[in-house]
Amino acid sequence: MANLKDIQRQIKSVSNTQKTTRAMKLVSTAKLRRAEELAKRSRLYADKMNQVIAEIAGRIKCNKVGGIDNRCFSKIDNPKTVDIVFVTADKGLCGGFNIQTIKAVKKLLAEYKEQNVKVRLRGIGKKGIEFFKYNEVELFDSVSDLSSRPDKERSDSFIKSSIEEFKDGKIDALHMVYNGYKNMITQELHVNKVLPVDADQFECNEEPKSILEVEAQDEEHMLDSLVSRYVEYAMYYSLIDSVAAEHSARMQAMDTATNNAKDMVKSLNVQFNKARQAAITTELIEIISGVESMK
Amino acid sequence: MSNVKLEILTPNGEIYNGEALSVTLPGEEGEFGVLAEHSSLSTLLEAGVIDIEKEDKSVESILINWGVVQVDEEKVIVLVEGAVAIRGENESEVATALENAKDLIESIKDNNPAIASATARIELAAQNLL
Repeated sequence: MANLKDIQRQIKSVSNTQKTTRAMKLVSTAKLRRAEELAKRSRLYADKMNQVIAEIAGRIKCNKVGGIDNRCFSKIDNPKTVDIVFVTADKGLCGGFNIQTIKAVKKLLAEYKEQNVKVRLRGIGKKGIEFFKYNEVELFDSVSDLSSRPDKERSDSFIKSSIEEFKDGKIDALHMVYNGYKNMITQELHVNKVLPVDADQFECNEEPKSILEVEAQDEEHMLDSLVSRYVEYAMYYSLIDSVAAEHSARMQAMDTATNNAKDMVKSLNVQFNKARQAAITTELIEIISGVESMK
Repeated sequence: MSNVKLEILTPNGEIYNGEALSVTLPGEEGEFGVLAEHSSLSTLLEAGVIDIEKEDKSVESILINWGVVQVDEEKVIVLVEGAVAIRGENESEVATALENAKDLIESIKDNNPAIASATARIELAAQNLL
């Protein structure tokens, strides 16, 4: 049976850990509320933006708008180089949050490898970057303190090079992988193909209620500018969505950790009491047998 | 005459959602007005002022820095990046809105003549409110 002192030390250490995890949970709850608010407000805008883009893509695909040949909206067969942007947290202790994203990226990497496509990984978030560095997977580009504090300007300048290179034909697709916020207890993994804009779901035979009319001379310019904004916003939105998800994941992980610590302290206490009882009993027996032998 | 359904969305949420008699938008090619049953079009907006004529004939002005608009027969959806509505219950609220609008104009950092006129227009709109 373990020494009394040892058990006492263990109890103390576990309850200290419990204090830390509880504090972390509280911090995450507070941060989550703010992040969630931001993500919710942006979701409406992001959804509408997607809708507008999808509609334009659909119309271009169905040739409702004649003569538009924009790379961002055309289907590219046999891609040669693709960009994958992933967003993970800067910190750990949030359950499977980061590893889920990493797994999705790895799956995508394997798929492209089969097709002999060159993949350039662009990472945001320390955890993901560390993982790929450790596994000796080359990262094309990485930023490490953007995911904990999303900033529109920095996210724009990060994604801008991908947009430009796509337009110049240096890359043939752009994917974004991130873990998004669904509700307080669930996160949702998003693997989005941002460029070229996917028009597959758009039904051509459906008679459109309206026709897209863009001024002929500036349609190229309009689409270009619109697509840039769309991708920039998609990037920024994935960052804020990811922050909200990170906090909810951490809150959950820390809640479980606190509960586990509580259970552990309980069982250690039982063990401690048993050991104490045993020690007392042994002592008593020793005294009694000592007295017996003196008779 | 029927009304236009108008939605103006910013990354920070909705700034206007409701019906209007007409809406004037600062298009890239110049300002244009939209009434109900306007034929559909999509175009970009540049920095400027959106004027919304409401059902009670009052005009609300919203300053924007960039946007895209989708008009169809039923509704008008405006997606903007930054926007400040010149509105408020009392003088101080209007003054704050005006202050925010001026900050937004500052941040545009563009020597576009449209922006110079935008400053004048929001001030006028604020005065009309008081």
